[in-house]
Amino acid sequence: MSATREFVEADNAEAIITRIEHKSRKIESLLKQSKPVEALKTALEGSPPNTRDERCKSANWIVVHRAIMAIKDLDALFSSLDPEYYDILMKYLYRGLSTGDRPTCDQCLRIHERLTEKAGLGCILRSLADTMNTV
Amino acid sequence: MANSLRLYLTCIRNTLEAAMCLQNFPCQEVERHNKPEVELKTSPELLLKPILICRNEAEKCLIETSINSLRISLKVKQADELENILTKKFLRFLSMRAEAFQVLRRKPVQGYDISFLITNYHCEEMQKHKLIDFIVQFMEDIDKEISELKMSVNTRGRLVAAEFLKQFV
Repeated sequence: MSATREFVEADNAEAIITRIEHKSRKIESLLKQSKPVEALKTALEGSPPNTRDERCKSANWIVVHRAIMAIKDLDALFSSLDPEYYDILMKYLYRGLSTGDRPTCDQCLRIHERLTEKAGLGCILRSLADTMNTV
Repeated sequence: MANSLRLYLTCIRNTLEAAMCLQNFPCQEVERHNKPEVELKTSPELLLKPILICRNEAEKCLIETSINSLRISLKVKQADELENILTKKFLRFLSMRAEAFQVLRRKPVQGYDISFLITNYHCEEMQKHKLIDFIVQFMEDIDKEISELKMSVNTRGRLVAAEFLKQFV
């Protein structure tokens, strides 16, 4: 069962990386139209949940990072983001906080505070405990 | 500047509140033993993902949780050589008296300046939110202490040098 899964993943990895590239082009165009919230939603949407491939995860992280750094208005973000994206966003925030790069960390800390107010401590605990869908 | 410190401490406080869910768990490998699982890391099913929260390139905080224990490691900002030495000496002074603090670890984790180890027994005896308050307060106070120490070293050095050089005037 796991052997077939590895096989499926190897093929899927290339497909996923191309999908991520398409996504990044779409996000660039959304950012040029100054719609950072839409850009973040697109970035979080196709997050690869079941791949173990580090390249897919890194590629997706670069895209999400670009969208996160472009966000200026936090109120607008939280009024229009669906609750189903809170968990994935929290996982990406922790990934951003572990990079140590000053502007990334500042931005991630700002969003983290607001996201915890909105989503609660359960969101944090799910990002700590989830070993299947890591980012 | 103060705002980024406030955000950093809020983030750590929220993560600790979520991560400090400890319960008693006797050792699975050895009978009648009870060990803090976060230190041994023998069984992956008992550990949660370790979280690294960086404020900038110099300051960070590593939070590792397991079923019965939680380890928090801090790296304090050290701007120059003098602060480096002061921090090392001051935190070593505290770590040697770890018995009195109960939640302090005698040696910091590799790559960090000071570490705390909180077990389920601490959570039973002491209140969880007070433990978290202690840790956050510690982080705030450390910066102040180190700046105070640095200032007093500089002042004393200046006074001594002035007195010494008076004889040559």
